[in-house]
Amino acid sequence: MQQRSGGWKVIHQWLEGNEFKPFKFQEDAWKAYLQGKSGIVNAPTGFGKTFSLFLGVLIAWIDAHPKDYTRKTKNGLQLLWITPLRALAKDIARAMEAVLQELNIPWQVGIRSGDTSLAARAAQKKQMPEILLITPESLHLLLAQKEYPNLFKHLHTVVVDEWHELIGSKRGVMVELGLSRLKGLRKKQLKIWGISATIGNLDEALEVLLGPYHNDGLIIRAKLKKNIALKSVIPHEIENYPWAGHLGIKMLPQALPVIHDSQTTLIFTNTRSQSEIWYQALLKEDPMLAGALALHHGSIDMELRIWVEEALHNGILKAVVCTASLDLGVDFRPVDSVIQVGSPKGVARFLQRAGRSGHQPGAVSKIFFLPTHALELVEAAALKAAMEEELIESRMPVLLAYDVLLQYLMTLAVSDGFHGAEIWEEVRQTFCYQHITEDEWLWLLSFLTTGGEALGSYDEFRKVEREGDFFICRSRMMAMRHRLHIGTIVSDAMLKVKFMTGGYIGVIEESFISRLQPGDSFTLAGRNLEFTLIKDMTVLVRKSNSKRSIVPSYQGGRIPLSSNLGRMLRQKFNEALSGKSRDAELIALQPLFQLQETLSHIPKDNELLIEKINTKDGYHLFVYPFEGRLVHEVMAALLAYRLSLIQPITFSIAMNDYGFELLSDQPIPLTQENAKQLFTTDNLLIELQTSVNATEMARRKFRDIAVIAGLIFQGYPGKHKANRHLQSSASLLFNVFKDYDPQNLLLKQAFNEAFFYQMEEARLRETLERIAVSKIVITAPQRLTPFCFPIKVDSLRDTMTSEKLEDRIKKLITTND
Amino acid sequence: MDSVVGEIFHFQQQHWHLLPQRAIFWEEEKTLIVSDMHLGKATHFRKAGIAVPAGIEQEDLFRLQQLITRYLPQRIIIVGDMFHSTENNDVQYFRVWRQQFANISINLVKGNHDIMPDEVYEQLQIQVNNTLTISGIHFIHEPCEDHNGFQYTFSGHFHPAFVMQGTGKQRLRLPCFYFGPHCGILPAFGHFTGSATLDPAANDPVFVIAGKSIIRAQ
Repeated sequence: MQQRSGGWKVIHQWLEGNEFKPFKFQEDAWKAYLQGKSGIVNAPTGFGKTFSLFLGVLIAWIDAHPKDYTRKTKNGLQLLWITPLRALAKDIARAMEAVLQELNIPWQVGIRSGDTSLAARAAQKKQMPEILLITPESLHLLLAQKEYPNLFKHLHTVVVDEWHELIGSKRGVMVELGLSRLKGLRKKQLKIWGISATIGNLDEALEVLLGPYHNDGLIIRAKLKKNIALKSVIPHEIENYPWAGHLGIKMLPQALPVIHDSQTTLIFTNTRSQSEIWYQALLKEDPMLAGALALHHGSIDMELRIWVEEALHNGILKAVVCTASLDLGVDFRPVDSVIQVGSPKGVARFLQRAGRSGHQPGAVSKIFFLPTHALELVEAAALKAAMEEELIESRMPVLLAYDVLLQYLMTLAVSDGFHGAEIWEEVRQTFCYQHITEDEWLWLLSFLTTGGEALGSYDEFRKVEREGDFFICRSRMMAMRHRLHIGTIVSDAMLKVKFMTGGYIGVIEESFISRLQPGDSFTLAGRNLEFTLIKDMTVLVRKSNSKRSIVPSYQGGRIPLSSNLGRMLRQKFNEALSGKSRDAELIALQPLFQLQETLSHIPKDNELLIEKINTKDGYHLFVYPFEGRLVHEVMAALLAYRLSLIQPITFSIAMNDYGFELLSDQPIPLTQENAKQLFTTDNLLIELQTSVNATEMARRKFRDIAVIAGLIFQGYPGKHKANRHLQSSASLLFNVFKDYDPQNLLLKQAFNEAFFYQMEEARLRETLERIAVSKIVITAPQRLTPFCFPIKVDSLRDTMTSEKLEDRIKKLITTND
Repeated sequence: MDSVVGEIFHFQQQHWHLLPQRAIFWEEEKTLIVSDMHLGKATHFRKAGIAVPAGIEQEDLFRLQQLITRYLPQRIIIVGDMFHSTENNDVQYFRVWRQQFANISINLVKGNHDIMPDEVYEQLQIQVNNTLTISGIHFIHEPCEDHNGFQYTFSGHFHPAFVMQGTGKQRLRLPCFYFGPHCGILPAFGHFTGSATLDPAANDPVFVIAGKSIIRAQ
């Protein structure tokens, strides 16, 4: 290192005193930081990525105040540390405080999140701590305060932690907008750094963080590799293992030895309901686990979750059943094994979960893959191969999210108000809004001031007032409501669950509870509960002794297969067929493959398999491109549309990650002769737009958009919904916008999100091109095959029709007679 | 409008024109029957800063106007929830609209949303009653389960929709007119209203609104 500055020496001495040796990437980061650069530090967890930036800030501080850095207090906010998780903030703050104390630097470390007490907030307003750890939402809440620029007067560094988690979501857009304002306030004096795990598009992640016009950003890569050992738990009797399912409970006895042989095990499930079921089943299977087994998911009371996390730290738990709620976050050192139940659907997520075990640098992360149905074993083999080839998914940044921008503009309007020209310049320089047009900007402003096109004198719209180029909200009521609802995480309305005798258990979706009758039993937080009544937005329950109870099914459990994993999956099927595979998973599956081959066929790499099967439900057509749920959804709609041009016909459509199904009440006119033509790329774009039920897809997207843009006031757990006469469903709003204001940008955004994010047109085109040069194999099995079974039992279905509405109704009437 | 076709339902010795505009024309009494208009709802939203499109009630009233010019009723019965909530500018708009049809009487059967002071309705030349009975046919906002002594009853409140299912796992959900043993339910007239799924007995007549036509579903 060339400049052995005073600060550098102080930090080195401290590191040596603690027998720490900095990694090269940490020193690289300090150097770049001291040169005034911005950028991204790319390092796996467990290697001190926090220190790579935090210590850099301290070195610079000591350099600037060599004589009195141990005495200077009340310096104002220096470092803003944005983190996606509140739980992370606490641990990082603790680590920072320990370092500051040992270095004798009297800086304050503050936390700002939804949990921060009112007293702490007031104290922060009076005197900002030198370091503030904050969530994206709370940052926007700061921007919603009067005279917020004062808070950031001394700010010179912003760090965005876990940037890979934020970038693909609207929370990432909130970060972009927050940064654009801070940059505007601090002009050229702000250094911005991200910390990210490896993703496929790290360069783009840098562009998103710094804006597309940045010129001094760099990526510092820690060339450290985590050793991961993946082992599949193979069912003892593969012949009798279920063909479909998503719970994997049958495999539970084979999971127990892993738990017994490890110090602490995390058991990852894909949904909250699955975690509840696993928790119950584990206790039943091995009562000795009582007291040493815990449950952790997003619906469980925060305090209980914190207790579980502490207990994990202290090593007093043998195992925790969890969901994505423990994907991120702090190191639980005692954890030495991870069990993944069911497919993780992506390489990055799997790596992240694997990394939750063996947290010390150099330790091996052990992860066990436990299939929930037989074919999932192929995914394990595919994951293994993808990990070896480091095929890690990209996280695509969100573009032109008008809903988040509307929310942000309102945020600025409720604090000090904003000047249109100034904010327009800042917003345009973000990655998300780099292509926003002036017309769109004007539309957004008029949406806030006049509520879009109004009908003159009868209109009473009120929200933001316009004074020349200055925009401000003067209604205290609206400002209060807006502050309550800053954020982009939209959830179903949640109700608190409490015992009749008092005692809080957790929260639960209103839509689930509304289907229960008093006396019904359900499971939450690992307890069997009897539903008694709903009072004051709280579900009152008592303990249930019932043997049967309903497990709530939560939304959001369906994650599509990534394209990387899909490609690997096809390769593995190919290998399995060749009979030459050395993967234990594929060898174990041989009996199943043989049955599939006997009943129908196993497609080779250059083949597309189509199965035509008749059952009492009607005429089924199964197609297996192995491209993942999202591509299949669109492809199914396209095929259905093209078939419906041949004759008037109605389909119900289902899909999974391997293939899709068209089901009709009449024979499906697909033959060996016309098959190729039905999968052509000719007229793809036009036919796609007519075929896909874009309206329905957009309607689904619109719910979140309407909430984020402030059209629906969600209400809060435990609080009454005020203003009942202002409640309306997103679907109804969607309808009136479509009928009365089709040019509305939020509506346009819903269609964009449906088309561009969900449809993955490029991937679909690639698939069709692959099919064009493949051989299409059509079979007519006498009964359901191992391939088709998991698709057929899927209950979520779409519809595609070319029959007239009147004709469909008449047909429905006759069949019901 | 001319391509829109209703269905004449002969029921209780009367002729009921079930109209896809979500209204009934009662031929014998020259009466137009609608329910759950929720006028002013969008404006209440806009006043609170929620920018739903302006002009929804104007469109709803235009549809009513078209029905009036086509069927020339002497009376309009609104089976509750005419205005969505407290008074706002849409009341003024309605006052102007009302003057075109000063000779037609309007009867409002009070619903749970009809909370404006009596004077307002008086000024708008609307007669308000809790229930109404004409030629033995009773009108009340909330549907009644049991026989109430009248020949037949019409109600609203529910905003009914009907779900049809068939082979191939097909499913359709449409707004409908429902005729129970004692009580019928009208679809909501207003466009900015939701709907609730009805679960009728197998023999009760149900007519669904399928775009521009009416189809008997059972």
